[in-house]
Amino acid sequence: MAALTLTPGAAVRRRSPSASAFRFGFAPRTIILVLTGLYFLIPLAASARYALEGSGGSISFSSIDQLFHDGTLWSGLVTSLEIAAGAAVITLLLLVPTSIWINLRMPAFRRTMEGLTLLPLVVPTVVLVLGIFGAFRSFPNLIVGTPVILALEYVVLALPFSYRAIDSGVQALDLHTLVDAGKSLGSGWTQLFWRVLLPNLRTAILSAAFLTVAYSIGEFAVANLLTFNTFPTRLYEVGTEYAGEATAVSVFALVLTWGLLLVMSFVGGRKRRQHAATAALPATTELAGSVSEDLAAEVDELAGAVGLGGAGAASAPAPHDEEQGMTDDPAPDDEEN
Amino acid sequence: MGLTAPARQVRPSPEEATAPGPPAARGGLRHRLNRLRRLIGIGPFLAYLTLFLIVPSISVVSSAFEDEKGNFTWSNITASLHGVYLTSYKTSLEISAVSALVSAVAGTLVAIALASSTSRTLNRLVTTGSGVFANTGGLPLAFAFIATLGNFGIVTKILSAIGWDPYNHGFTLYSATGLVVVYCYFLVPLMVLVMLPAVQNLRSEWFEAASILGASRRECWHRVGIPLLGPAFFAALMVLFTDAFAAYATAETLTQGTVPLVPIQIGSLIEGNVLSNQQNLGDALGLGMIVVVAIAAVLYATVQRRAARWQH
Repeated sequence: MAALTLTPGAAVRRRSPSASAFRFGFAPRTIILVLTGLYFLIPLAASARYALEGSGGSISFSSIDQLFHDGTLWSGLVTSLEIAAGAAVITLLLLVPTSIWINLRMPAFRRTMEGLTLLPLVVPTVVLVLGIFGAFRSFPNLIVGTPVILALEYVVLALPFSYRAIDSGVQALDLHTLVDAGKSLGSGWTQLFWRVLLPNLRTAILSAAFLTVAYSIGEFAVANLLTFNTFPTRLYEVGTEYAGEATAVSVFALVLTWGLLLVMSFVGGRKRRQHAATAALPATTELAGSVSEDLAAEVDELAGAVGLGGAGAASAPAPHDEEQGMTDDPAPDDEEN
Repeated sequence: MGLTAPARQVRPSPEEATAPGPPAARGGLRHRLNRLRRLIGIGPFLAYLTLFLIVPSISVVSSAFEDEKGNFTWSNITASLHGVYLTSYKTSLEISAVSALVSAVAGTLVAIALASSTSRTLNRLVTTGSGVFANTGGLPLAFAFIATLGNFGIVTKILSAIGWDPYNHGFTLYSATGLVVVYCYFLVPLMVLVMLPAVQNLRSEWFEAASILGASRRECWHRVGIPLLGPAFFAALMVLFTDAFAAYATAETLTQGTVPLVPIQIGSLIEGNVLSNQQNLGDALGLGMIVVVAIAAVLYATVQRRAARWQH
């Protein structure tokens, strides 16, 4: 595994730019990267400036402050957080056992499962809303008439990201060994699940939950069309009147999400390198086999980290993974190592 | 299709290898029972996906062919392909095609530039950044661009200070052109992520082989590089196209529905569905979207199979 993941990086290093025609020289690639960089950074800088512009060109945070004194935005945020929490809980309840089951009992189904979890990308969200109106008309109002339906649907819409995060964590575990060891030490399935598997999947679970929460808090289309007052729809309303303030809040939310994603991706990368280094020890599996509490924690260090790798990867679009799936499916992040 | 068939036949064997029970039970009642028991484990997931994704989708397709009383009719489909709705299909297809193409070219250039660099920090920064930017959309994106290129945006101000006000030269952010500019913001990073592996797979040996055979640098690209990247490029183009075609939030928040895209039309039908039969008309438009996406997906899968041939 370590050797495999190292190959692309090594290959890139070996091919010095001048040695290959399929590479750009220093000048063209610098121009391309700088221009692209500007295209991506200028809107960010512009909105930050726009948002923080006080009277007379000074920087002030008063616009943001002012906005949160407005009750509507708060209530929208609270609703969004509730929806996000609900969606994350359902996601975990649904996906963790499913992923473990598939990796343990039906590995041949893995590819099909990946395809299934990508389905939400194929159905445009607007079409999904049409379907919700059409199919759930007879559902109890408690579900369809309240934001509960949003939580239920966000689980589906975030599936391409959340499943990938959990599944890469589960795949990194030596499931069979852990289960066999646990069972031979006399634990039942419940105990095994709570005390061996879940602690090992901590980081994968965290990243899946985070991705679901991030998706739920930022989702606009479904919430707007089903006319629920969530954070983004409230912000949209506010934005029509107080553009600067709304921009401030949206930039703030965006930067916060990105910051967390970046931190997760970098922490994942660092841990993964440790993982790669330690995985070289042939003893690791034997160690993991004798599952005592502290050893399980050690395995967690090794294996759970890959789940975080899934975070960066999962934030990468799934179509990419679909393409990878045609080859031997390395996690997209692995190319960096 | 011919290529998938053998893969399917191979598929059951690893499953059977891990299946408990003696090999003699293979194919027998016991095996089938085991298989069923295994399926039960993913039952909740399948049920959830069916209820909240498949059922709504099927409902859209079926009610596209129904009138308000539930009788079969073609009238929704006909209506959805005429007048404003036909225009909205054209606009949608045009915007998605142009923004996908522009982003695909730009993204490929960035991917090649990135593959040419030996800096691992740069590599990591750009791939992580791409993962993040590719998922930006909707409200924050619209606001960011309004602050940049809107009527009173900073770049607009700077440009008009230089003496070239884009708004005096036919440009406005709240138009089809504006949407293309904004869509590139999440499409280019998507392209970078999809193309980077393909670009990194271009082996220098192939170039060397070609140049030994007398090819110039330009010929190397023309005869080797482009044909090799071609399928991956086209497959990625389909992904970008689908992404742009389905985008609703960004267009709605940026243009407030003034650019008639199919998702925007569906949105306004949903919002104003007090009038009868509009729901079914919306479903017909939705069916149209599904058809377009399905065509793109089939093209993607076809080309992808070609692209995968060179990825080892």
